[in-house]
Amino acid sequence: MFSDLTAQKGATLLAPPALEGPVFDRVCPSSYTNCSERFKLGERSFSRQYAHIYATRLLQMRPVLTKRAQQMWGADIPVKKLCEIQMGEQCCIVGTIFKHMDLQPSILREISEEHNLLPQPPRAKYISQSDELILEDELQRIKLEGAIEVQNFVTGSVIAVYGAEKNDGKFMVEEYCRAELPPQSPRRGPHADRFVLLASGLGLGSGNADCLLGLQLLVDMVTGQLGDEGEQSGVARISRVLLAGNLLSQSTQDKDSINKAKYLTKKTQAGSVEAIRMLDEILVQLAASVPVDLMPGEFDPTNYTLPQQPLHQCMFPLSSAYPTLQLVSNPFQADIDGLRFLGTSGQNVSDIYKYSGQEDYIEILESTLRLSHLTPTAPDTLGCYPFYQRDPFILEECPHVYFCGNAPAFQSKRVIGADGQDVLLVAIPEFSSTQTACLVNLRNLECQPISFSAFSAEAEEESEMDISH
Amino acid sequence: MDDLYLENIDEFVNDQNKIVTYKWLSLTLGVHVNQAKQMLYHYLEQKRKESSGTRLHATYLVSGKFTQNGNTCHKVAVVREDQLEGLKSKMIVTASIHVYSIQKVVLKDSGPLFNTDYDAIKENLNICSKYSAIRCASAVPRSSAEISRLQEIAQGTPPASEGQQAASKLSMNGHSPSALKPATQQPKGIMGMFASKAASKHHETSKEVKTEAKEDSVAAEASNSKPTSKGSAMSNFFGKTATRKTKPSPQTAEVVIKEEEASSAASPASKEEDEPSSSSAAKQVPAIKEEKPKTSEAAPKKRKDSKTKAKRLERSDSEDDKSESQQKKRRRIKKPQPDSSDDEIIPDSPPARDVKTPSPPPEAEVKKERATHTEDAGGIKRRKRRKVLKSKTSLDDEGCIVTEKVYESESYSDSEDDFVKSNKQQLSKQPATGGKKVEDKKSQKKSAANKGTKQASIMGFFQKK
Repeated sequence: MFSDLTAQKGATLLAPPALEGPVFDRVCPSSYTNCSERFKLGERSFSRQYAHIYATRLLQMRPVLTKRAQQMWGADIPVKKLCEIQMGEQCCIVGTIFKHMDLQPSILREISEEHNLLPQPPRAKYISQSDELILEDELQRIKLEGAIEVQNFVTGSVIAVYGAEKNDGKFMVEEYCRAELPPQSPRRGPHADRFVLLASGLGLGSGNADCLLGLQLLVDMVTGQLGDEGEQSGVARISRVLLAGNLLSQSTQDKDSINKAKYLTKKTQAGSVEAIRMLDEILVQLAASVPVDLMPGEFDPTNYTLPQQPLHQCMFPLSSAYPTLQLVSNPFQADIDGLRFLGTSGQNVSDIYKYSGQEDYIEILESTLRLSHLTPTAPDTLGCYPFYQRDPFILEECPHVYFCGNAPAFQSKRVIGADGQDVLLVAIPEFSSTQTACLVNLRNLECQPISFSAFSAEAEEESEMDISH
Repeated sequence: MDDLYLENIDEFVNDQNKIVTYKWLSLTLGVHVNQAKQMLYHYLEQKRKESSGTRLHATYLVSGKFTQNGNTCHKVAVVREDQLEGLKSKMIVTASIHVYSIQKVVLKDSGPLFNTDYDAIKENLNICSKYSAIRCASAVPRSSAEISRLQEIAQGTPPASEGQQAASKLSMNGHSPSALKPATQQPKGIMGMFASKAASKHHETSKEVKTEAKEDSVAAEASNSKPTSKGSAMSNFFGKTATRKTKPSPQTAEVVIKEEEASSAASPASKEEDEPSSSSAAKQVPAIKEEKPKTSEAAPKKRKDSKTKAKRLERSDSEDDKSESQQKKRRRIKKPQPDSSDDEIIPDSPPARDVKTPSPPPEAEVKKERATHTEDAGGIKRRKRRKVLKSKTSLDDEGCIVTEKVYESESYSDSEDDFVKSNKQQLSKQPATGGKKVEDKKSQKKSAANKGTKQASIMGFFQKK
């Protein structure tokens, strides 16, 4: 535990100054490789149809699923294409799920004049009782019924189902299986305690100053200014800081200026300009002390579609002077000290949250891992680039730490795969609302949250209540 | 350690009514953060012992293991003195407690603490981790030379690799697919329209686009920039052409990349055109001019693939513009104005010119080239042939009179076109090669014709007196 580590040395600071303050050396990461080349887009052309992604996704995942199916239901079960199945014959089919949801916003319906519909207001969840699952493969589609829970799946997941076709043309599912965890290379973590700090949702530029002190405390702690010697020596073991998206707050995105008259908005700057300046100042403090990986998020100034490209270094004139600042893509994959980290800024998980019945972010994260796909809902409801040669979101190698940013609360879970894979799932909480970040211990794959708090007028009453327990 | 710091803190807290945080103190006195914390504690203890005068308030930082909602987390909290004991008792393991700040007033909110630190850090961004307890070996800021080298590599390699695809896509969407360049160049191009420092702007954009070969061109440009600063009327006029060249540069960016020498010579070319007007620079021109015909020939040939009608119109239009008068400097942002008369020029240009037809930059370049050439050829009369659109009437089989517009070649000489005073300078300086001259002539003729058909621009009020 990080906390235990920090308490090892005695308290020295409630005393008059004696010796020169100690200086601890930050641990150098033994190895760091950024493995996110697959998420880098070169020249972009949007002239292609999005259907190609599904085709290549199915093509890539079919062999994996066939193998899994055979493992589960026997090597001799017939694995057929939809066009080959006979009525009543027990077989296994592999395909992509399409979830038909009535409440799913459809742009065609919205703009269609004959319906005279007002645009649908955004909802938290778009699921309803009448949702249906349909399995599609290269040529055909078939409705699924039976032992398959509709709200557990989202459009775009590739699964294998075992069952038979009924008279009415629907497929009665007896069992289903997902691709499960991909193979994992053995973990070669450090032998001593080393930490990686994960934080997300800094939410700068929101005009809400309450979280700013918490952020300053975080920076002070990581740079070794806060705390006693024990804490500082513990913090010196943080070998890397990873900021997973939403560095800017949503309010920097508001497009009020478009609706306002020009004479009112003439000299105004976009909210994101000041916010980026603040971010640069924070990064300069961090980068001067620890290697930082900066991932863009939903509200950050980069492209909207996944994979989001790294923020441009021209926005960070002060901090890009430091080689310790790495601007990376979303999703992000890297080998840090022998452990494979993979994660996103949370757009994939929050999108699945909207279109499925799962409530927990960590549960959704686990299901994406088991589906072996980072973003099954892309491109249906989550914007993504029209890939056609390969689907870069398919998990080909199982990570050791799998995270998603901007979760409503901190959650972590250890998942053991069928073939012995060991993954730590982390749902990084949003810092602007929870003032919490996470520390991952690279030696034993443990995760501990760190929370920061300051005092305010209301806090006084709160603490009184606690004491009365 | 001397106790001067106690007096210092005293002064800050009591006299200046400041909120003294450990970080602010460490940056102000230049001491290690831990020492600053200890100093604050020492001061506090002393003052409390004295118990004289004003009451001081302090905030503490407490951190340790804490159980919240069933999870153990590491908690770091800034608390007021009265809350200190309460929080300490709730912690399972206390990692550190130290004084965070001392101030005279009671703080209701931790906002002022943040502000103090924020101001202190902002002033000392470069030494923010100097007094910290952790040193990171790899966090050494890069030197500016290294940064600029990295930037060049970053911009040089993607454009070079994308240049091929980009050029092929040029006709498709007319925009550079590579992310950086259009964003930077187009605003510059549009703003450059209204800047008198058009030459330097072009210098900037071309620098971004091209690879290191242009460093030579930059040097050349630097030397050329001196005469350009002379700012005569003609130089402004040519400056405008330079900006026009800047504007279409996003489109030509990739194309330009292909030929480094051509493009690097092209940028001196843009500079050079400023020179012809200033007579003193005449000497430099002949040498550089030699490059220009090569570049204009080479560059436009490769721009063949980006032929579009719009571009053609644009080109002939701007060509028109240039030849008409330099007073029409601010006539229009680079929009192709479909003029029916413009069509005449394009198809039947001599082959050398044909290649150069499509895009504005070649045309702009060519014009510049023409300009310099005019200076060189100054006064020499040439007899040339050119193709002119003429209406030919003839009798059909059925006895109908048919009128056709046909290009016919016709010979002409310099002295024939002498219609506008403002163009005289240009006229007298005809390019050495026939092709360019033809263009010039035609544009002049056309512009004469167009004067009648085009809308009178507001610049008509500012004719030469």
